[in-house]
Amino acid sequence: MTVWYATALILSIGVFAVVLYFSRRSATYQDLDRRIQSEADLTAGILAESYHARGVLVEKDTAGRPVLVQEVAAVLEVVPDFLLVTSRDGRLLFASPDARALTFAEFEQLNAITGPPDASARLPGRFRIEPNGPTLHYLVRPVPDAGEQFGAIFAAADTRDAELRLEQLLTTILIAFVVGVVPAIFVGRWIAGRALEPVDQMITEVREITDGRTLHRRLAVPMERDELGRLAETLNQMMARLERNFAALRRFTADASHELKTPLTVVRAGVERAITRPDVPPETLAPLEETLQEVNRMTELLDSLLTLARADEGRAELHREPVDLREIIAEAGETGELLAEHAGVGMEIRLPPEPVVVSVDRSRVRQLALNLIENAVKYTPRGGQVSVELAGSDGRGVFTVADTGIGIAPGDLPHIFDRFWRADSARTRTSERAGTGLGLAISKWIAEAHGGTIEVQSRPGRGTTFTVGLPRV
Amino acid sequence: MKILVVEDDKTVGDYVRRGLDEAGYHVDLVGDGDEGLRRASGRGAGYDMMVLDLRLPKLSGIDVLRTLRDRGVGLPVLVLTAQDSVDFKVQALRMGADDYVTKPFAFEELLARVEALGRRPKAIAPPTLKVNGLVLDTGSREVTRDGKPIELTPKEYAVLEYLMRHQGRVMSRTLITEYAWDYHFDPGTNIVDVVITRLRKKIDHAKEPKLIHTVRGVGYVVRA
Repeated sequence: MTVWYATALILSIGVFAVVLYFSRRSATYQDLDRRIQSEADLTAGILAESYHARGVLVEKDTAGRPVLVQEVAAVLEVVPDFLLVTSRDGRLLFASPDARALTFAEFEQLNAITGPPDASARLPGRFRIEPNGPTLHYLVRPVPDAGEQFGAIFAAADTRDAELRLEQLLTTILIAFVVGVVPAIFVGRWIAGRALEPVDQMITEVREITDGRTLHRRLAVPMERDELGRLAETLNQMMARLERNFAALRRFTADASHELKTPLTVVRAGVERAITRPDVPPETLAPLEETLQEVNRMTELLDSLLTLARADEGRAELHREPVDLREIIAEAGETGELLAEHAGVGMEIRLPPEPVVVSVDRSRVRQLALNLIENAVKYTPRGGQVSVELAGSDGRGVFTVADTGIGIAPGDLPHIFDRFWRADSARTRTSERAGTGLGLAISKWIAEAHGGTIEVQSRPGRGTTFTVGLPRV
Repeated sequence: MKILVVEDDKTVGDYVRRGLDEAGYHVDLVGDGDEGLRRASGRGAGYDMMVLDLRLPKLSGIDVLRTLRDRGVGLPVLVLTAQDSVDFKVQALRMGADDYVTKPFAFEELLARVEALGRRPKAIAPPTLKVNGLVLDTGSREVTRDGKPIELTPKEYAVLEYLMRHQGRVMSRTLITEYAWDYHFDPGTNIVDVVITRLRKKIDHAKEPKLIHTVRGVGYVVRA
């Protein structure tokens, strides 16, 4: 913000300075050109008048060279800058004091322009007197009303003064730029900071209102009905709508759980009653058993969905109590051993000799451990190995579940905790039914809801390691 | 022992009543909260326990519970709820419920909690279960066959206990899994088969008669 402001300021002032400099420069040179024009015109006028008054204006000096008559030359002496008057055959009749002050070599350079017979046809221009002389703007004009005696009038002015003034202007601009822009940026930043402070504050407040629990909160609306006040009001209206939607979602979640679970209870009750009768023939029992399994799967899926829905709302609760993680891992481990035996996979469980006490929701962490162990066994081919290890480090209980299974492709790793995500079906043994696809999503939620972490490392064909860290409280 | 069951769904209500009947309880079933409250707080009704669904017509389970406790009725109450969120359970317990079972529930779980609330010896579980020479002591959790002790892991013990408790009856894999794994675990594999294989090695290996029998496609039964 401040950077943009400063850039815009520097740019606009810069453009202003450049325009100012170049317009001053062109005005200065135009002045210079007008000056030599008027000097040349003045000279031509004097010569014309003198010609009307006296006729011949050229006389011989003591060395026999043609020069302008003394009286006229005296008048022209007062003209500043460089002024030369030549005869029709290109000989120099008069040179102004500035021109006479030049060295011979320098003077010759002026003469080169005025010398040729057609000199009066030259266009105005500029040149630099070598080697160290000033740059001159010059013009050459004929002398039409003074008889046949004169060739051309050459008038020139040096640009030293003009350039000096332009340099001063440039210096002034630069100083003004530094002195003006730098404080302007700091002041601008301060003003912007002051103006944006309420916005920053609003951002902090909105950020604090993150989940379903705090949605009842509202932003403080400033007294002034300016843009910020309207923004706060708009945000508040939006949050009110969100709050209503969340409440509706909560109601829906509660209703859905009841509406779906009651029929499941009814189905289950019927099946269970039939299946536990002493006199049911086995051929009737088999389909009843399958139905019961299906009911349980649906129940599990429903529970998982509701858990995640509540977690999204920030309303999923944990029933924390001090637990020795060794108990949970040992229990999940026994189940893991049974699963591993069934799958022909080796299972190793390493527990530390001392308790690893953490404050966690026992049933949730049990679910987490079972999920990971079950997955490890499921994705490890016959003859492979699964290792479960628990360690208590400073402030954390850490357990790892490592397998020598088929691993996870690097491209899949970022997605394994997504809901309903599954690698292509080739991953699972075909004899087994796929899970709900929610297991790892729930595992991640369980770990993070406890303020813990869950990490995965995997190499395709070599195996996968999940590491869960739970803070001791 | 008299139990009042308040459940508006007829199938579930009948099921609970019949199951508790079979377990030796005397059960009355009513279908709405008003009636439930009237019966439970009426003098001389003489109920020892109430099984209360939370979502009822007329008067909700929570309101029944609150009113009962306000009137100073100390009857033990087991709540049936479809909500498995912790805060809801906490709310029910604060309102004065003594325990809860989450729908859909296995009857075994409901029965276990009713028994625990009733604080009486288990009607269908004598302290020692016997099948032929196999003896399981539910108090000490010791198992012997022909007098020789058998070492079992916790899951092996749970599966064997369940089968012996229902000896002579075919128990499905799902029911066994639910009992041994806390009612809410579906490993998707027949983990029970593995436990049974282990149990057979420890109990039936080189012994006659075999006590654990397979019923294909369904489950297992323990009988002599």
